[in-house]
Amino acid sequence: MSGDKMVMRAWTRAQSRLGRRQAMPVMACGMLAGLVAVGQAWCVAAILAKGLVGSGMAAWPGAGSLLAALAGLAVLRALFMAGGDVFAARAGRSARRRLRNAVLEAILRGGPALLRRRHSAELTALAVDRIEALDGFFARWIPASVLWVAVPGLIAALAALVQPGAAGIMILCGLAVPVGQAVFGIGAAVASRNQFLAMTRLQARFLDRVRGIATIVLLNRADDEAGRLAQAADELRRRTMKVLRVAFLSSASIDCAMVVALVLIVVRDGGIVAVLRQGGASGPLAEAAARSLFVLLLVPEFFAPLRALALAYQDRAHASGAASAMGELPEGTAADTPAGDAVPHLSDDGVSVDFEHVTFAWDAARGPVLTDLSFSVRAGEILTLVGPSGAGKSTIIEMLLGFIVPDSGRVMVGGVDLAAMAPATQSGLISWIGQKPVLFAGTLRENILFARPDADEAALRAALRAASVDRFAADLPQGLDTPIGEGGFGLSGGQAQRVAIARAYLKDAPLLLLDEPTAHLDPETEREIFASLRILAQGRTVILSSHAAGVRAFAGPCLDLGALRCAEQVTGQMAPAEEGHVHV
Amino acid sequence: MSERSLSGRAAEDRDGLTPVLRILGLWKVRAPRLLAGGVLSLLALMAGLVLMRGAGARIGGLVFGGAVAGLVLLRASGVARVVLRYVERLVTHDAMFRALADIRVWFFRRLAGGAAAGLGFRRAGDLLSRLVSDVEALDGLYLRIMVPLAGACVVLPFLVMAVLPVDPGLAVIVDGLFMVGAFVLPLAAALMGRREAAILTHRLADLRVGVLDLVTGLREIRAFGAEGRMVSHARARDDALLRGQARQARLLAMMGGASYLCGQAAVLAVLAAILGVGLGPIPAARGVGLLFLVIAGFESAGGLTRAGALAGGISRAAARVVAVGETDGPPVSVGTRPAPSGTDIRFEQVSFRWQADRPAVFDGLTLEIRQGARVAILGPSGIGKSTLAALLLKVAAPDAGRILLGGEDLATLESGSVRQRMAWLSQATHLFADTIRANLLLGRPDATEADLWTALDRAQVGDVVRALPEGLDAWLGEGGASLSGGQGRRIALARTLLSDAPILILDEPATGLDAETEREFLTTLYDVTAGRTVILIAHRLVGVEKLDRVWRLSDGKAVAASV
Repeated sequence: MSGDKMVMRAWTRAQSRLGRRQAMPVMACGMLAGLVAVGQAWCVAAILAKGLVGSGMAAWPGAGSLLAALAGLAVLRALFMAGGDVFAARAGRSARRRLRNAVLEAILRGGPALLRRRHSAELTALAVDRIEALDGFFARWIPASVLWVAVPGLIAALAALVQPGAAGIMILCGLAVPVGQAVFGIGAAVASRNQFLAMTRLQARFLDRVRGIATIVLLNRADDEAGRLAQAADELRRRTMKVLRVAFLSSASIDCAMVVALVLIVVRDGGIVAVLRQGGASGPLAEAAARSLFVLLLVPEFFAPLRALALAYQDRAHASGAASAMGELPEGTAADTPAGDAVPHLSDDGVSVDFEHVTFAWDAARGPVLTDLSFSVRAGEILTLVGPSGAGKSTIIEMLLGFIVPDSGRVMVGGVDLAAMAPATQSGLISWIGQKPVLFAGTLRENILFARPDADEAALRAALRAASVDRFAADLPQGLDTPIGEGGFGLSGGQAQRVAIARAYLKDAPLLLLDEPTAHLDPETEREIFASLRILAQGRTVILSSHAAGVRAFAGPCLDLGALRCAEQVTGQMAPAEEGHVHV
Repeated sequence: MSERSLSGRAAEDRDGLTPVLRILGLWKVRAPRLLAGGVLSLLALMAGLVLMRGAGARIGGLVFGGAVAGLVLLRASGVARVVLRYVERLVTHDAMFRALADIRVWFFRRLAGGAAAGLGFRRAGDLLSRLVSDVEALDGLYLRIMVPLAGACVVLPFLVMAVLPVDPGLAVIVDGLFMVGAFVLPLAAALMGRREAAILTHRLADLRVGVLDLVTGLREIRAFGAEGRMVSHARARDDALLRGQARQARLLAMMGGASYLCGQAAVLAVLAAILGVGLGPIPAARGVGLLFLVIAGFESAGGLTRAGALAGGISRAAARVVAVGETDGPPVSVGTRPAPSGTDIRFEQVSFRWQADRPAVFDGLTLEIRQGARVAILGPSGIGKSTLAALLLKVAAPDAGRILLGGEDLATLESGSVRQRMAWLSQATHLFADTIRANLLLGRPDATEADLWTALDRAQVGDVVRALPEGLDAWLGEGGASLSGGQGRRIALARTLLSDAPILILDEPATGLDAETEREFLTTLYDVTAGRTVILIAHRLVGVEKLDRVWRLSDGKAVAASV
């Protein structure tokens, strides 16, 4: 836990340093506003004191000019306040832009492996809501952490010139504030982190259920889910209140300190003034009155930065909470990842693929899914992966995609270790259709061109033909420009599958990975797909995982992961390459 | 993916007061707490005013002679102010969060009410944004607008009563300035900032949708090397949001300054009155008390101008929250009668198309499924097999013809009751990010442990679950990520088999299963579903299914085929 705390503190400190430059104008505006406030208090006190002395309040020459000065100071103050707000907002925005960029890049660096550990809603909440919540840290906390000493110090110093005793009272009461902060702030960071966890859980639960809302509704479980959502929402409320309670307590303690200071000064000065009034001399009375009024008017101004500090304390807690969330994302900048410059060897027939003694376990507790697997695929061959579900077919494909790395052993593509290649080189080698292809909301054309945005019309049409998309695209109201919803809404399962196949075909990569490409397809379409695959496979290496019976027609090596699973240990061998048998 | 604003069609989100009133209506349940908070706020305000006035009066009295406000009053109001303010904030915020939680649940229920066909063209990220950000924005309605406005309405008469007896001219100026600062300026801010604030709610939703797209499609992005593109999309949305926020910040700063100047103008007026310049003169002792009162009063109304600038966003957020459930999906006839006990199914001359511009899926479809029969519905992809299931489950209603369940027209039957008679395994497996147990219990909440294992074994996945270290309590990741595709499919199958509904609709149950497992499953299907109607939707038959009837769909009609 202490290591975690150190990480949090280090991150917060680094962010403070980065944010300080942007916060300087805010601090400057705050200081200037404080100075102006002192001037305003002095003017008001002088006016009131003159009002006391002036017998019968006759029009007194300086009155107009003092009022004018006060008006001018008010305008100046308004300008500094507005300026401070604008600069603070700007500081918050630039920090958020920087951090959100960093989070997005970290998410992309982490890649699909992140989705195994974290729900997509959690990652989105981190990138969107967490960063939004950090606005206060940069816009309010960093300036407040300086101003709470600077401005009250200035005010107290100026007040001390006039009435040291009152200044002393102010400082004493003011000191109660940071003490209160420290006391109430214990656990504020933890409370903030818990609040965020509750919010992320609410979001993850809602997003997850909403994506499967049809299932929930048709199972008549909408009420149950609503009840559980209510629980999650209530949990969020309780945790938010915990955070706010700290903020309110510290705010109350400041209010308290301010009231005490006010009352003390009133009592103290009142005594002095009453004595003087008994004396009758109006000169010293006016002076004393002016001084005590001045000091009294300074009290709210003295406590204002302290109040700002208390309000911003919550933002600091949010930052500490964010620090631990950020820590879970992959570190480093794009420049840090060793840009492997290994270039695979491409031949006219595609690339060769070799697995050498690869062992991999998804979850240590469940045991390895691949143990010491070795096989080779020559360039231009079509390798079929067969075996029962769970045997590791998708695992092999994900390894080739670079989504996961082997625990031991290595994967070679084109004679070069995959791990030694730059990510861009890796993704340039492969085209893929997965078991649950993700289609984005947009037009059909946009979805297919996602694979290669600069593909020309001819290539697009070829891909459409090979994937049998042209057969149904003609029936759609706007053809290829028909919009589809998230997850392929608006298309049937088989149609969506074919769009994903067209996408994989369009990419035109030397290594084609197909994971259950003919799921949801009827036998006739399946035959068509395999037929065009045989043509497309020329000049390419294809690794195909499928349960379909039609797969047997492919001449080429097959890797049977099923037979290997009979024994406890999974070891890999190649099935006889020449025969093209499929072991089932 | 595209640059269009994806957060809902703006025309649907009706602006103005109607959605806000709807939200207020939803808060009626929490009215006692909300009102209590409001009352406490007013009391705290009064205590503050009394404190400031008393302090001023005491000073004035001491300096200028005249009545001196007692220390007791000062202390009492001081303590009262601090305590009341703390309690007020606790109560108002707690009440508000309870009300917001209510709205979130209401939102989900309404969404579910219209979502039998799924989300349609709506974006999950946009709905998430409505649930999270837009509902959260509604707290400003109570905390930043309604309560302070009530406070301002109380301060105004207080000010009037305090200033009027002293100097009517001053009263006019001070009260006029207060009304400007507390009512006119916020209104102006609301009008000026309305469009901008409304756009901001959409921009935040767009950012969320864009980031969610990026996160959901991480595999596709990595495989197709689209990192740069997707990041720049997301960054563009972020920039749009930040630009909008910059504009709003400028407006807020301006309004804050204007409100401050209002208060200062009132202070100047009082001072001028004390000096006798242009106004008054008024006795200095009372003048000081008035000065402090004016300062405190204007400070209390200071937050209203900023709240006004944000009001446009609040009303748009309300509109977005309330707009959910207004159907995106196909129209369904709402029935009222419970489903009958018989489960004969008949389609009589049913015609249907999903959208007016799409080709007809069914055109005079007639088919019959007897109670307890095992029936397969075959056909190429896109022919309408899943649509048949959708019509049966009352996800959509036929354009012509009717569907009978147990002899009664489906249109007259209540949807929930109909769905209770049917268990449906969809083409796309949907497993939830929860334990296996929780996923299974969705099919039948009162199932026992033994029931769960039986269902798992029948779906040919019992051994897999037993091999998992946590067994039934193993966590299925998002979409069942911690299991292979075929294993996940079988868990969904087990869920369907677990339910005790008399009609089972299995849409391609063997997707993702290897041939051997498929054969095993289909062989046992006959035995495990004794007495229930089974509708098997598939492309082709394997040969081991023991079916009573096979229907083949083509040209929008059903043709009985040989078994």
